[in-house]
Amino acid sequence: MWSYAFRRVLMTIPTLLLVITVCYLMLHATPGGPFDTERKISAAVLANLQAKYHLDLPLWQQYLYYLKSLLQGDLGASFRYADWSVNDLVANALPVSLAIGGGSLLLSVFIGVGLGIIAALRQNSIIDYLVMLVGNLGSAFPSFIIGPVLIMVFAIWLKVSPAGGWNDFQISYMLLPMALLTFINVSTIGRVMRGSLIEVLNSNFIRTAKAKGLPMHTIVFRHSLKPALMPVVSVLGPLAISSITSAVVTESVFSLPGLGKLIINGASNRDYTLVLGLVVLVTVVAVVLNLLVDLAYALLDPKIRY
Amino acid sequence: MKKTMTISVLAASVALGLGVSGAAFAAKVPAGVQLAAKQELIRNNGSEAESLDPALAESVGANNIARDLFEGLTATDADGKVVPGVAESWKQTDPTTWVFKLRKNAKWSDGSSVTADDFVYGIRRFLDPKTASPYATTYGIFLINGKEAAEGKKPLTDVGVKATDKYTLEIKTPYPVAFMPELVSNTQLGPAPKQAIEKFGKDWTKPGKLVGNGAFVLKEWLVNSKLIIEKSATYWDKGNVQLTKVTYLPIEDGFADVKMFQSGENEWVYQLPPGTYAKYKAELPKDIRNAPMLGLRYYGLNAKDPMMKDIRVRKALSMVIDRDILSSKITADGQVPAYSVVVRGTAGSDVTSYDWAKWPMAQRVAEAKKLLAAAGVQPGAKIKFTYNTSEYHKKMAIFAASEWKSKLGLNTDMENMEFKVLLKKRHDGDYQIARNGWVADYNDATTFLALVQCGNDQNDNGNCNPKAEELIKQGSQSQDAAKRKQLLTQATKMIMDDYPMIPLLQYTVPRLVKSYVGGYSTKNPMDRYRNKDLYIIKH
Amino acid sequence: MLRSKQKAAAEAIAANVGAVAVDGRSPWRDARERFFRNKAAVLSLVILTLITLACVFGPMLLPHSYEDTDWDAMSMAPTLLNSHYFGTDELGRDLLVRCLIGGRISLMVGLMATIASVTIGIVWGATAGFLGGKVDTLMMRIVDMMYAVPYLLIAILMVTLLGREFYLVVLTITVFSWMDMARVVRGQTLSIKSKEYIEAARAIGVSTGSIIFRHVVPNLLGIVVIYTTVTVPGVILTESVLSFLGLGVQEPMTSWGVLIEDGTGVMETTPWILLFPAAMLSITLYCANYIGDGMRDALDPKDR
Repeated sequence: MWSYAFRRVLMTIPTLLLVITVCYLMLHATPGGPFDTERKISAAVLANLQAKYHLDLPLWQQYLYYLKSLLQGDLGASFRYADWSVNDLVANALPVSLAIGGGSLLLSVFIGVGLGIIAALRQNSIIDYLVMLVGNLGSAFPSFIIGPVLIMVFAIWLKVSPAGGWNDFQISYMLLPMALLTFINVSTIGRVMRGSLIEVLNSNFIRTAKAKGLPMHTIVFRHSLKPALMPVVSVLGPLAISSITSAVVTESVFSLPGLGKLIINGASNRDYTLVLGLVVLVTVVAVVLNLLVDLAYALLDPKIRY
Repeated sequence: MKKTMTISVLAASVALGLGVSGAAFAAKVPAGVQLAAKQELIRNNGSEAESLDPALAESVGANNIARDLFEGLTATDADGKVVPGVAESWKQTDPTTWVFKLRKNAKWSDGSSVTADDFVYGIRRFLDPKTASPYATTYGIFLINGKEAAEGKKPLTDVGVKATDKYTLEIKTPYPVAFMPELVSNTQLGPAPKQAIEKFGKDWTKPGKLVGNGAFVLKEWLVNSKLIIEKSATYWDKGNVQLTKVTYLPIEDGFADVKMFQSGENEWVYQLPPGTYAKYKAELPKDIRNAPMLGLRYYGLNAKDPMMKDIRVRKALSMVIDRDILSSKITADGQVPAYSVVVRGTAGSDVTSYDWAKWPMAQRVAEAKKLLAAAGVQPGAKIKFTYNTSEYHKKMAIFAASEWKSKLGLNTDMENMEFKVLLKKRHDGDYQIARNGWVADYNDATTFLALVQCGNDQNDNGNCNPKAEELIKQGSQSQDAAKRKQLLTQATKMIMDDYPMIPLLQYTVPRLVKSYVGGYSTKNPMDRYRNKDLYIIKH
Repeated sequence: MLRSKQKAAAEAIAANVGAVAVDGRSPWRDARERFFRNKAAVLSLVILTLITLACVFGPMLLPHSYEDTDWDAMSMAPTLLNSHYFGTDELGRDLLVRCLIGGRISLMVGLMATIASVTIGIVWGATAGFLGGKVDTLMMRIVDMMYAVPYLLIAILMVTLLGREFYLVVLTITVFSWMDMARVVRGQTLSIKSKEYIEAARAIGVSTGSIIFRHVVPNLLGIVVIYTTVTVPGVILTESVLSFLGLGVQEPMTSWGVLIEDGTGVMETTPWILLFPAAMLSITLYCANYIGDGMRDALDPKDR
C-alpha cells in the first residue's frame, strides 16, 4: 500500500505538467489580457508592461521560463497585485480555506452520517421524509440565498455573529461560513449515507444477522456501518476539493480572504501567474485528497488492494 | 444651467490657483462639534488595492490609500478644492512653467525631509518604462518630454521636472496646462522615498518597510482581508489630523458591504448595490450620502459599423432614449440625465446639450423615425448591443432595448459577456453598440474629450472631427482661461453633433457613511476623501 | 460470522445468477411496486409533472409576454389585478411568465446535462475501477486534473471560439460535472469487483465489457441514482453562472438561476422577485431528491 501511495504521489508530476500546459494555453487563448482595462493604456505603456512581465517573449519561451521558476518553488509575480508574489497570495489564502472548508467537512460528516442513519432506519416513514427535508436544504436552496439568510438572522436580527470578514482565525468569524458549507455538504453526505445504509441493511448477510436476532444497534454499528460508509468516503474526495478550493459563494458572501475568491479574481483579471499558481495548488490538493480517499477504501474494505 | 456655470467657473478659478498662500486648510473641525474620544474609522474600499506604490496604483481603491500614505505637491480637500500639500505655494511664471515652493517641515515617515529631489526622483521613476506605470502617458503628456520618456524615446533626465534648490521644484509643460495645481495632487506625480525603494526593492510597500510622507503610515496589510493605517507622527500637518487609525476593507460584494455596515463592522459602504438606494434612504436617512461625481455612463456607437456609420441612425438611437425615466425609475439612485460627453461640474468646458432634449417625446420619436427612414432602416431591423454582465448594466440595457423596440420598432440582440472580453471587443472596434463608462482622472474637460477625440487611446467609437480637433488644439495653446473654455465648449458641441456616442447618465455615488463620520462633503466631484479630512463626532 | 458471510455470498451469487439468467419475475414490475411504496416519491412525481406541464404550456395561456416591459408597473407586488399573479420584476415584466419560461430552460438544461454527465461518469468510473492498474491511474489523474482547470476560462473560451449555442451550455456544464460521479462510481466498483459473483462471472469467461455493464453497473445503480439527484441542483445553478459569462441564455430570455440571482439583489425590498423563482427551483429539487430516493429503493437489486 505504501509503495502504491508513493507511486501515486510521483504521478502528481506528469499530472501537474499536463494541467499547467493545458491551462497555460487556455489562458493565452482567452480574449482580453491582464492589461486590458477600462482606461486603455497606450501602446508604449503596454510595451513597458509586457517587457516587465516577459510577455514580449515568444509563448514557448515564457512557458519554459515559468516552468523553470516553478521548479525552484517560485510561482512568479502576480500580474494584478503588483506588490505580492503568487506564493504570498496563496500562502495567505490557503490556511483560511483549509480552516473553513476542513472544519465544515468534519462537521458535515458527523451530521450527514447521523441524519443518514436516522432516515435509513425509518425508511419511508414521516421521520425519514422530515429528516431528508432538513438535510436537503443545502442542495434545494442555492448557497447565495442561504448565506444572506444566515447573515440576516444571526448577524442583523440576533446580533450573535459578525456579518462577515476575517479576523485571524477568530472562531466567531468562522461559524457562519462553516455553517453554510455544512448545509451544502450535509445534503450530499446525508443522502448518500441513507441510500447506502438501506442497501446494506437489505443485503443478505444483514438479513441473516437479523434472523439470528441480533439487536438492531449491533447490526447497524458493528456490521452495517463499515460497508455503508464506502460511498460516503467516495463523495468526501470531491466534497473536500470543492469546500476548500472553490467555496466562491461562501467567501464572497462572508468576505473571506480564501482561495475560491482568488481563483475567480485571478481568472477575471487574467492574472496569468496567479491562475496557474492556483491550478498547481488545486491539482496537488485534488491528488492528495483523492489519494487519502483511495487509502480509506482499503481500510473499509480489506478486499480492495492496489 | 446657471448653477452649472457657477460651479465650473469656481472650479476653473481654483484650478488656476495663482498665488495661493500657504496656510493649512484641511481637517478643521467646525466650531461646536464635539469629537469622539476614539478617532477610528472602518472604511470599505470596494476592492483590494493592486499596489500601494503610488506609481503603480491604478484603481480608485488603490489611489484612495495612496492619498493617505503619500502626499503630492498639492492635495484636494473634502470639497474637491485644491489645497497645499508638500508645496506651500506655487506660481505660473510663464505660460509653460510652474514653480512650486516646498514647505521645509515636510517629512518622510522615517524622519528625513521631503525635498524637491524626492519629487524629481518620484516623477522620473513614475515615467520610467521599467516601472511600467499604467498612468505613465496619461499624465506624462503634461510634462515636457514626459510622453517620450515613458515611451523610452528620450532619457528620463530630459523630462521637464527640475529641483532648482532643495525646496523649489520647477515643472515645464509642452503647452499651457491651466489645471497643473490640481493635476499634481495625484500621488503618481508625487515624491518617492528613494532610500526605502533602493533598500527594499520590490518589497518596499510592505508594512514595516513602507516609507511615506502622508498623514498616515501603513500598519498592517492582510491581503483581501484588511489594511490598517495609523496617524503619522512625522506628518507636517499632524495637528489637523484627527483620525488615529483607519481600517480599509476590500469587500466587493455589495450585499456583504451593507450587512457589515448594519452590524457595525463597517462604517463606510463603498457603493450601495443597485436597486437599494430608495430603501436605505428611507431606513437610514442620517447615514445615506449621495452626490454626483465626474463620471459618465454612455453607450459607444462604432463609427466603422456599416449601420452605425450613418449619423442619422446614431442620432435616432440617441434621441428616443428617455433619460428622465431612466434616471428616475430605472436606476432610481439620483443619477442625473446626461446629453453631453462633458458632465456637470467639470472645469474647462460648459456642459452642452441637444435641442431635442427639451422636446416632448412624441416629437423626438417622430423626428427619429424620419431620420431612420431617410437612412433606409426599416422597422424590424436588427441592432446588436454588447455589454458586460452586471445587474446595473443589464437593467439599463433592457430599458434602452425596450425604447428602441417600442419607439422605433428596432429589435435589439443583447449580448452580455465578461468584462475583459467586452474591453477587448471595444478596443478592437468589434461591436455595434457597446456599454461604456468613464470617470475623470482630473477635473478638466480634456479628460472627457479624450473619449471622442481623433485617434485617442480612450476613443473606442472610432469617430473623428478634424475641425473640433483644431479647436481643442487652439484651446490647449491658449493662456486665457475664458477663451480656452469657450473653444473647448465649441469643440464639445461640434463633436456631440456628430453623435459618436449616446450619453445617458452622470454618475453619482450613493453610499452609506455613519452619521458620526464628520468631514464628508457631498460637493466632492472626484469622490476623493482623504482620511486627513475626516473625523469622528461624539455619538 | 464467517459462516454468515459465506452464506450471504452464496445467496448473493444465487440472486444475481437468477436475475441475469432466468429473468423470472418481471423486475420492472417489482421496481414499480417498490417505488409506489414511497409516498413522498409519488407525490413528488405528481408535482414535478405539474411544474413541467406548466412551464411548457403556461406561457401560451397567460396574457403577458415574458419580454414586455411596463414602466408603470415596475417591481409590483403579486396581485390579482392585471393578472400579474407573481407580481412583476424590476422592469415591470410579468414574473409568472418569466418563471415558467425560465423553467423551460432550467429543466431542459438540468435534464440534458445531468444525463450527459452521469453517463460519462458511470462509464469512466466503472471502467477505471474495474480495469484497475495503469488504466485506473491514468483515468483518475485526468479526473484530478479536471478539478483544477478553472471553469471560468473554459466557459469564456467556449463562447469565444464556438459562439452562444444552447448545446454549448449543456456541454460546458457536463465538462464540469462528470468527475464527481466518476470518482464515486469508481470507488463502488473497486468494492464490487472483489465480490464473489464477479469472480464467478470471470471464471466462466464472461467478457470484461459485459461484466462491467451487466454485473457491475446494475449493482451501482443505488448510489448512481442518489448521486444523480445530488448533481441536479449544481447543474441548474451552473447555468446561471454561464449566462453571467455570456454563454447560455441572453436577456430577455431567462432561466431560474438567472431569475434567482436577480432576485437576491433586491430580496429585502421586493422579496417576491426572489421568492417565486426560488420556490419553483427548490420544489423541483426537493421533488427530484425524493424521486431519486424512491428510485433508489425501487432499483435496489438486493431488496427483493
